[in-house]
Amino acid sequence: MIEVKGVTKTYGKKQNAFLALEDINFVIPDGASVAIVGKSGSGKSTLMHAMSGLDRPEKGQVVIDGVDILKLKSKAVDRFRSEKIGFIFQSFFVQANESSFDNVSLPLEISNLSVRERKKRVLEALRVVGIDDKEKQKARNLSGGQKQRLAIARAIVNRPKIIFADEPTGNLDSTTGATIEKLLFGLNKQSGSTLVIVTHDEDLAAKCDMRIYIKDGKIDKIVSEEK
Amino acid sequence: MKTIDIIRRAGRSLRHAKARTILTSLAIAVGAFTLTIALAAGQGAREYANTLLTSNIDPQVLAIAKDKSFFEGGKTGPQEYIPGSSTIARPNGALVKRLSQADIDAIAKRSDIVSITPTYAINAQYITRSGQKKYTVDATTYDSGVTQTVIAGSLPALRTSITDDQIALPEAYVSLLGFKSAQDAIGQTVTIHLERTPSVTEDQIQQAIAANNPQAIAALTTKQVKDADYKIVAIVGKSATALAATTSVEISNNSAKALSDFSTSGTDSYHEYTIATASVKPGIDPATVKQDLINQGYGVQTAKDLQGLLFTIVNTLQGIVIGFGILALITSVFGIINTQYISVLERTREIGLMKALGMRGRHVSRLFQFEAAWIGFLGGVIGSIIAVVAGLSLNPWITSTLSLGDGNVLLIFQPVPIILLIIVLMLVAMLAGYFPARKAAKLDPIEALRTE
Ligand SMILES: Nc1ncnc2c1ncn2[C@@H]1O[C@H](COP(=O)(O)OP(=O)(O)O)[C@@H](O)[C@H]1O
Ligand SMILES: [Mg+2]
Repeated sequence: MIEVKGVTKTYGKKQNAFLALEDINFVIPDGASVAIVGKSGSGKSTLMHAMSGLDRPEKGQVVIDGVDILKLKSKAVDRFRSEKIGFIFQSFFVQANESSFDNVSLPLEISNLSVRERKKRVLEALRVVGIDDKEKQKARNLSGGQKQRLAIARAIVNRPKIIFADEPTGNLDSTTGATIEKLLFGLNKQSGSTLVIVTHDEDLAAKCDMRIYIKDGKIDKIVSEEK
Repeated sequence: MKTIDIIRRAGRSLRHAKARTILTSLAIAVGAFTLTIALAAGQGAREYANTLLTSNIDPQVLAIAKDKSFFEGGKTGPQEYIPGSSTIARPNGALVKRLSQADIDAIAKRSDIVSITPTYAINAQYITRSGQKKYTVDATTYDSGVTQTVIAGSLPALRTSITDDQIALPEAYVSLLGFKSAQDAIGQTVTIHLERTPSVTEDQIQQAIAANNPQAIAALTTKQVKDADYKIVAIVGKSATALAATTSVEISNNSAKALSDFSTSGTDSYHEYTIATASVKPGIDPATVKQDLINQGYGVQTAKDLQGLLFTIVNTLQGIVIGFGILALITSVFGIINTQYISVLERTREIGLMKALGMRGRHVSRLFQFEAAWIGFLGGVIGSIIAVVAGLSLNPWITSTLSLGDGNVLLIFQPVPIILLIIVLMLVAMLAGYFPARKAAKLDPIEALRTE
C-alpha cells in the first residue's frame, strides 16, 4: 500500500517560488496498476519522484509498507530504491556502452548479490522481456523497442514491489508501444507488483485499475475501477 | 555495491574511451619512465661506486689532515695565529693547517697504525734516461693500498711497497723514453732531475763577502740540483674501475721523502704536509682509530667516508632526475583531472541512472576514482616497461661509452621499486580523480535524468 498524504513541493525560492505539487493525497492498494494522468508540466513527474524516494518534497508523507520514506536517511532511501523500486523512463536511459547483460546486472550489483545469483536473475529477466538472445549485445545496438524491453528487464530484475514508468511508450511507435504496454500489464498481473505509469495518453490510462488526474500541481480527480 | 564490481565497471568504461584513456595515461607514462630510469641509474651508480671502492681502496686506509676543516673545504676568513703551525691556502682562498713531521712521527708510533705516508711535495724538473729527451714528470708515493693494472713487470702484494731504488711508470712514458715495448722497459734505469734555488742566510752572505770570495758568493746563488736514479719495476695502465687515471710516476715512500726534503729544504714547506694516508693494522676497526685521532684534533676520513661521499653525490644526482619525474607527474595530474571532469560531464545521465537505481554517492565516486587509478596503472606499466626495455638495450652501449668495465652496468632495474612506483602512481591518479569523482557523487539524479 502506498499512502500519499499532503505532499507539497515548491521549486525555487521567494519571488521565484513555483508550487509544483499542492497538498496531494491518495492511497494506492498493493498490486494495483495506476496511471498518473495530466498535461505536460502539470506535475506528474514531480509526483513520481516524490513517491519513489528520488526527491524530497518539503511537506507531506509518502508511506510505503508503513514507513514514511520522506523521513528516511539518504542511505536508507537509496537502499529502499534499490530493493523495492523499479524505474522505467521515457528515454530508456540504458548504458549504451554496456552489454544487455551488464545493464540488467547493475541493480543486482548495487544490492550486493552474488555473481551466480546475478547471472540467474539477469537471464531470467531478459527472457521475460523477450531479448534473451541479445544478452551479449551492447545496448547502443538495440532498437528503441528493444532498449525499452531492456529497461523493463532492469526494472524487474530486483523483483521490486513497485514499478514506476514515466511515459514508457512516449518515444515508441504505436505498435511497439502496444507490445510494451502488454508486457508491463502482464508483469503487473503475474508478479503482483504495483505498477505506476505516468502518462498523458488517455488510452493507456484507461487500461489501468486506477487513474489519478493532475492539473496544475493539484489532484483534479481520482477514478478507480473495482474488478 | 562490491568494490570488485565497481572496479570491473570502471575498467569497462575506460575501454570504451580507449583513445582518451591511452593519451591521458601516456602523460603519466612519461613520469613513470623518468622515475624508473632514475631509480635504476641510482641503484646502478651506487653499486658501481661500491665496486670501484672495494676494488681500489684498502678498507683499512685513513686519510689524515691537521684538523677537520680540511675535509670541509678549509676555513675562510682570518684565523687565530698559532706559533709554529703552518697553513697553506686553497684555490678558494680557504686556509688549511698542515701536518708537521712531529705529527707524522707521533701517528707512526701508534700501535694500531701499520704505516703512515704523507703526500710529499716533489717539484721534479724532468724525467729522462741516457740518450733520450727530457719530459715533465709528476712523482708521487707508491700507494700500497690500491690495486693497479700492471702491463709489464710486477708490483708487490697489497700493503707492501716497492723498494727505494724502484719506480713504476705510467704507460705513456714507454714510447716517450724510447723503449720498444713495456716489457723492454722493465729493469732499465731512469733519472728524475730536481732543482732548487738555495735559501741563503744573512750570515752566509756576510761571511762570503767578508772573505771576499767571488766563487763562494756565486756558489750561494747557483741553483742546486739532484739527480735520482731508479730501476723500472712495472709499467701500469689505466683500469676500468680505477678511481683516477695514473699519470704520475710512483716511487717508494723513502725516495719520495728524500726528493721532497730536497725540494722543500729551506722553505716553509719543509717537513710540512697537507695530508697523509695511514694504514690501520688489520683486524682493528678503522672507525675507532679515526675517532681517537679526531679526539686529538686531527681531521680523519676512512674509506667508508669516501663511499658515503660518493653515495651522497649519486643520491643528489638521482634526486634531481626524480625531481623531473615528479614534475612530469604533476603535469599529468592535471591531465587526469581534466579527462575525468569531461568524463563526468559526458556521463551525467549514466550517473543519474545509477543513483536513481540506489547506488550510493561514495560508490559512484569510487567508480571514477578507480577509473583514474586504472589510468595511473596503465601509465605506470607503459612507462616502466619502456624504461626497462630501453634501459636494458642501452646498457651495453652506456657501459662501453663510459668505459665502466665489463660486467658493470649503469642501469639496474629491480622489481620491487618498480612495483612500488606503479602503486604510488595509482594513488596519485586516484588523488587527481578525487575532485571529478566528488562532482559525480554529488549529482542530483533528477537533474541528471531530465529529458528536455
Ligand atoms: N527543478 C525545477 N525547477 C523549477 N521548476 C521545475 C523543476 N522541475 C520541474 N519544474 C516545474 O514543475 C512543473 C512540473 O514539472 P513536471 O513534474 O516535470 O511535469 P510533467 O512531468 O507533468 O510534465 C513544471 O512547470 C516544471 O516547469
Ligand atoms: Mg514529465
